[in-house]
Amino acid sequence: MYVALRDLRAARGRFVLVGLVISLVALLTTLLSGLAAGLVDDGISGLRRLPLTHLAMEDGSDGTFSRSTLTDDDLASWEDVDGVEATPLGASFVNAKDGDGTSVSLALFGVTEDSFLAPRPEARAALAGPDGLVLSDELEGQGIEVGDELTLAGSDVTVPVLGFTYTGSYGHVPIAFTQLDTWRHLFYGDGARGRFSAIALHASGTGDDVAAALDRAARESGTEVLTKEEAYAGSPGYTGETQTMTLIRGFLLAISALMVGSFFTVWTIQRAKQIALLKALGGTTAYVLRDALGQMAVVLLAATVVGAGVAVVLGLAIQRSDVPFRLEVAPVLGSIALLMTLGLAGCLVAVRRITRVDPAGALRSID
Amino acid sequence: MSLELDQITVTVPDGPETRTILDTVTLRVEAGETVAVTGPSGSGKSTLLAVAGLLQRPTAGRVRIAGTDASALGDRARTRLRGATIGIVYQAANLLPSLTARQQVEVAAHANGRLDRAARSRAEELLVRVGLADRIDARPEALSGGERQRVAVARALMMEPRVLLADEPTSALDAARGEAVMDLLLEEARRLGAATLVVSHEGGHTRLVDREFRLDPAGTSVR
Repeated sequence: MYVALRDLRAARGRFVLVGLVISLVALLTTLLSGLAAGLVDDGISGLRRLPLTHLAMEDGSDGTFSRSTLTDDDLASWEDVDGVEATPLGASFVNAKDGDGTSVSLALFGVTEDSFLAPRPEARAALAGPDGLVLSDELEGQGIEVGDELTLAGSDVTVPVLGFTYTGSYGHVPIAFTQLDTWRHLFYGDGARGRFSAIALHASGTGDDVAAALDRAARESGTEVLTKEEAYAGSPGYTGETQTMTLIRGFLLAISALMVGSFFTVWTIQRAKQIALLKALGGTTAYVLRDALGQMAVVLLAATVVGAGVAVVLGLAIQRSDVPFRLEVAPVLGSIALLMTLGLAGCLVAVRRITRVDPAGALRSID
Repeated sequence: MSLELDQITVTVPDGPETRTILDTVTLRVEAGETVAVTGPSGSGKSTLLAVAGLLQRPTAGRVRIAGTDASALGDRARTRLRGATIGIVYQAANLLPSLTARQQVEVAAHANGRLDRAARSRAEELLVRVGLADRIDARPEALSGGERQRVAVARALMMEPRVLLADEPTSALDAARGEAVMDLLLEEARRLGAATLVVSHEGGHTRLVDREFRLDPAGTSVR
């Protein structure tokens, strides 16, 4: 990179300009990564945290709790499956008001007190006691306290707040745990007839035997089995949000690749006679390619790291606000790598031109 | 024999026809010999230099550089051979805008994978020899036309070429500066013992060289 590095210093204004644009794309891409991760968290963090591996749901429900209704009879088919723990799960969305009339939305999950879904002793103790709700701790910051009474819209049933725990959210709404019987009463009134939304499954192991056992039980019970990840798609808005974010990131990366490619193609056209001279001096095509690609990589890497760095600083500030935003090392590094890869891919046109430069071009003036 | 051009023919497409630039031209230049290639515009002087410098393949004929038949070589091997054995001075200095005078000379060694401490010393030594001791760290925009062409001469000499080619190297300079550059080029060529081919306009620097090789307008050699 003898000439490339010196070009960078000599024409720094030009490179700073294109670097600035690449930095902005890196900034936006990284911020979008954080926003996408935040939105995903907001949509499914509660489900992700539950210690289940699969969900059995009513056939055709596509992971949407509101479309799935199962009964104790369905559960019976699952209770004898080797290597699989099964427990009923009621899930629904409710609006509740506290004594001051402040309204909160809740994703209400009903579980049994001995369920593997409530692994913490304090949660089991709370669920074993009188009717009540264990709320997501984010509601604690909104002025709700233990002992407060929440009136659930629709049923007008009033239940006390038993405690707070980290439960995450589902469908962008904080999760509240309650006893399965309480959930049934709130949702079906006196006519529950052993109904709930889904069967949470915990399969020990991931081998073919377990998969076969799950398939067999699903067939026998007439239910549909989804992995936890497949069940994310049932969260309201999850698929649309992730697809939109992916599309925006894709467009940004494509624009970046086009822009970087265009810049380096124009730069290569301007340098064609210099490249011819290097070839005439004995530089092989590999030599001039190393020089040019090295230059492109330095600009891309420096600009991307600066942009992503600024995004991380901004992201740390955003994370303290109410905006759903979560920075993770892997997606940030992934964005940088993708931007670099696509940027270099965009430079392929320039690379092709470099390989075609005729050393006889050195006979023409480059001064 | 350092440079042999044997029955060189170069034709180029010209509409539906082909046009002959050089027609069975044969030229041999001994080590240490200096030859001026002259002829009117369009007689193929620069094309002959491009062929001799392995910058262009002839349509027919053979080019031997320091005993190696370059006609049989692939592009990569020709590039290597050119870098190792041929120095070229162009009409314009053709300096790279981002490099200092020292780096312009060093880059010749770098392109050939031979930039070491000895090469760096040699680059500086060459610049001193061409009279640019106090301009070593100047970029092209800070150099005069004569100084740029001196840098180009130093760059052409960097790899101690067996063949030195110059394409009207003084055409952009005034008479006094042009003569000084030409004197320098030929002095260094003789010191190196390089076979030297200088493309020159009519009545150019023929008195400074060992012999003249004249091309007629049809691209054939007349002596």
